[in-house]
Amino acid sequence: MKKGFVILLALAALLPAMAQEVEVTSLTRLLEGVEGPAYYPVLDSQGSRLLFLSESGALKLHDFADGVTTTVSRDYVAGHDACFGGDGKVYFVTQEVGENHLVYRTGNCYDVLTGKTAIVTEAQHGAVRAVPATHGGALKAPVQSYSSSTDIGSAVWTEGSTVHVTVNGEERVFSPVDSWAGYLWASLSPDGKRVAFFAAGKGIVVIDLRGQMLAMLGNYEMPCWYNNDYLVAQNAKDDGHQFTSSQILLLKADGTYSTELTKPASMTMQPTSGGGKIVYTTIDGLLYEMKINIYE
Amino acid sequence: MKKNSLHTIMVALLAVFAVNVATAQQPHVYINPGHGGYDSDDRNMVIYPFSQGDSAGSWESKSNLRKGLALQDILQKKGYKTSISRVTNTTADDLALSTIVALCNQSGADVFYSIHSNATGTSSRTNFPMVFYRGYTGSPQIPNADVLAADLEPYLYASQTTVWTHNYQIWGDWSFRPEWGTQGYGVLRGNHAVANLSEGSFHDYIPEAYRLLGLQYCWMEGWNISLGADKYFDRLGNYSQGVISGNIRDDRIKRLQECAQPFLVYGDDNLMPIHNATVRLLDDNGTEVQRTQTDTLRNGIYTFKFVNPGIYTVEVTEPSHFTQTATVTVNANASTYQNFYLKRVRDTPPEVVEYGPVWSEGDPAVKCSTPITLAFNWDMDSLTTCSAFTLDPPVEGHFRWEDSYYRLIFEPTDAFDVNTLYTLTLKKTAEHGGGTPMEEDFTLQFYTQPRNHLSELAVFPYEGAPVHLKTPTVELRVDSLLDTYNLFQRLRVLDDEGNELPWNKRSIKYNKKGDDYGFVRIPLTRDIEAGKDYHLILDVDIADTAGIHLPAARDIVFHGVDAGANKPGMAVVEDFENVDNYYAYTGNIYIHEGHGLPLTTSTDRLFGSKSMQLVYDFYNDAPVIISNYAESDINFNLGDTVGFHVWGDMSYNKLYVSLSDGSIAYGLPSVTIDFHGWRYVTLPIEGVPDNNYKFYGFMISRDHELMGKDGGTIRFDNVLKAESSGIDEVSLAGLKVMCEGDYIVASADTYIQGMELIDMNGRTIKAVGSNCINVNGIAPGVYLVRVFINGRTSTQKVRL
Repeated sequence: MKKGFVILLALAALLPAMAQEVEVTSLTRLLEGVEGPAYYPVLDSQGSRLLFLSESGALKLHDFADGVTTTVSRDYVAGHDACFGGDGKVYFVTQEVGENHLVYRTGNCYDVLTGKTAIVTEAQHGAVRAVPATHGGALKAPVQSYSSSTDIGSAVWTEGSTVHVTVNGEERVFSPVDSWAGYLWASLSPDGKRVAFFAAGKGIVVIDLRGQMLAMLGNYEMPCWYNNDYLVAQNAKDDGHQFTSSQILLLKADGTYSTELTKPASMTMQPTSGGGKIVYTTIDGLLYEMKINIYE
Repeated sequence: MKKNSLHTIMVALLAVFAVNVATAQQPHVYINPGHGGYDSDDRNMVIYPFSQGDSAGSWESKSNLRKGLALQDILQKKGYKTSISRVTNTTADDLALSTIVALCNQSGADVFYSIHSNATGTSSRTNFPMVFYRGYTGSPQIPNADVLAADLEPYLYASQTTVWTHNYQIWGDWSFRPEWGTQGYGVLRGNHAVANLSEGSFHDYIPEAYRLLGLQYCWMEGWNISLGADKYFDRLGNYSQGVISGNIRDDRIKRLQECAQPFLVYGDDNLMPIHNATVRLLDDNGTEVQRTQTDTLRNGIYTFKFVNPGIYTVEVTEPSHFTQTATVTVNANASTYQNFYLKRVRDTPPEVVEYGPVWSEGDPAVKCSTPITLAFNWDMDSLTTCSAFTLDPPVEGHFRWEDSYYRLIFEPTDAFDVNTLYTLTLKKTAEHGGGTPMEEDFTLQFYTQPRNHLSELAVFPYEGAPVHLKTPTVELRVDSLLDTYNLFQRLRVLDDEGNELPWNKRSIKYNKKGDDYGFVRIPLTRDIEAGKDYHLILDVDIADTAGIHLPAARDIVFHGVDAGANKPGMAVVEDFENVDNYYAYTGNIYIHEGHGLPLTTSTDRLFGSKSMQLVYDFYNDAPVIISNYAESDINFNLGDTVGFHVWGDMSYNKLYVSLSDGSIAYGLPSVTIDFHGWRYVTLPIEGVPDNNYKFYGFMISRDHELMGKDGGTIRFDNVLKAESSGIDEVSLAGLKVMCEGDYIVASADTYIQGMELIDMNGRTIKAVGSNCINVNGIAPGVYLVRVFINGRTSTQKVRL
């Protein structure tokens, strides 16, 4: 880690020990002086690499090991909803407006080792989404989809009011709770045994791989697993026009405990977690890395 | 069998291909009806008859949802794929903005419409459509979002069922909300679709709030948004049916103002919407194609949905109005607007059913400010009715209608003449709104009282008054009690640049029931400047409780002076820092009639740290005497000048200066207390025996029958003395005093220190530190000019 790469913020900025069970041990500003505003952070499962959308609209990848930041793509919306595959590659979608003003989306795979991007699904009209899997990645689309291999391992994603769970090549589709508007933000636990997702109007739902509901954690957004027992999520407020505040919460997956990791201040924090780290952004595009201790 | 299987597979593959091709060409629109849930982030307009929080009333979430559901239905009919963020109106489906954005992105929609209505957030009212996209105006962050907006707005603005106050507006949200930086609207942030947030109209414009209650009006906005989508996707030619919509109003009856506060209306929104009107759509054979009805929600809107192109007749019937029809042409995938202005059925001739003033011989006379009021059984035609109105003797005035032309009011421009018998005739040529005249003339008579204007008893500052600079007080007194409603707005004090001087409304004193005369007393909250002119403006509509107003507006010029300025050539005789040597009483203390009065010091002063203050009342109209035990060492002689500083309360009592020759006290009449605040008064010693005199004190007497008060408060500060030169004043140092145009000019062989202009009541009108006084604006008359020269004074009479 380069000196000066991260700056330890004043401890006064941290929340004091959360209740009796969780303590924020550090809060570190990331990429200060290196990058301008950054949004939509995504950590890999080891917490060693970070994807984000740069101020210029490019999808960038930062490697914590060597401190190098690489531009993956400058194409429109590449920086939104990109993901790391279990094979270490980056899967992302780009889009452009075609004739008759229809939007066409293209699936892409970036090989970190070669630094090259391959188009894996040609431009097509409709929803095209990158899905991480334990052994690779996939692009889900209405006409032409893509999988990095015949066995991508476990993967979860949402579509409409269904959550899709693929285990050992078998895809299962569940709708454990009613949600008119749909499901979002599916996330597979590190041990691959549970799935958390968001049901619009209901909140965060935790199910097992057979679709049995294990817990409902409250009307928070963007759940992602911190470890096998806890998730981080965003609690956002708005006035119907503009975000008024948001904060990061730590939620126990069985629904027995929750606590605030940040004060309700910054907005659209888009938390991500991996390898024991929590990364989030602020309305000004400042990236922060938070580390916590959980005392059971 | 194999052949059949292959055929089946081919058919299936073709079907899948066809579905995929169709999907590939089918635009996908994500619809977000904004807000939701009748809760804290919703917008509730409280309009009659709904109370705050009543979900049956006007809520932005409700009309947004109605528009959104209509748009969804229409787009599906037009072959679009749609998604929508909510279909009910509960807090649970009032989704977070980031959730809505993520749902839209996940859906793969091509475009996104967030549907809202607007509010000014201020007391002003306006109505026009606006649309926002993410980014700065002209530089959308989402490519083509500006094109989507430009394709939408003309269709919204084309609506003729509403009243627009301005043209439509298209904004980048970063430009419109610079205080939000680049946060922008939450549903546009991070949205991958070509996204717009549409504010279709302003729901705090009350007539629009009523329209937004109507299902048919909301449906039309959904239809117009669909036209914007068709234009954007180049699909205007893909749909074969059109719509007809319009607004049905009375042609002249005014809209009722039923809300707690009167509300602004623009254009035709001034007219009454017609409830329960039956509207039929007839084809060219007269066959009914569709039928609808206006609701009872005060909007008058009708809509015919999904009409085949062609020429039709729209027929509107409502029992209290004459039936109307109009021929309309419907085009494919287009809106046709046809508004109606229905004429009421008025089936009897008009007549006067109430009138005023009601007077007959022997009754008390009528106030000269009383308006003439005629109430009719029908709404009247203004032109024929006002033309039929004559007064004998004639009086200049103006007409005003109330209650939608049911009541005519004539108000004289000034007032009716006093002691006059007036005859009003309304000729039978007056017609109601349907054109039928009255059957016979109407007449009334009334006799007026002997008073038709408010009389001014006193005002301070009066014309030319010298006013001490410290937060002056303004007071107007009139001969009857003033109507105090908004009275403070009818008096203004302006500086010479026209700037209004402020006052505090809570400090204003008004007359109250039982007072002998009407008054308003207003302390200014800011000092004025010495040497500058100011204006007290009295509006003509200052009126008493009977509506009798001033005969004319007044512009009173007064002068700012520093009453506490240094007086060159004057010796201090008494400074009133200590008043132990003074006593005050009223009545005759020698025969034990009357009583002593409390003399104190006050910190309201012009010099040193204190002044002398007396709060007094009169005993049986006997004067108040203020005397000292220990006389000053300084003598006054005939021809000397005594000066003193006095703080008045506009009591209109008379103040005298007392001089004593050791055995007799002489009271020299000096000033009527017709002013507020501090004033410097000088008085030549004349008309008394040629003797040595000491300053002895003051005397106050009640001098005005009406305004002279039973008592008052008065303060005194330094008493001064200027010696007479003892020689011919005119020849003093070669002194000459001349009137030169607007100036009185003094010249002498030596330095002239200053001049004062004094009226014959001893009031200093102007004081200057030079050898000339500008007398422009000072009333003609005889005045005294006092010239200060070499520590002495010379006083001369001048005629202006």
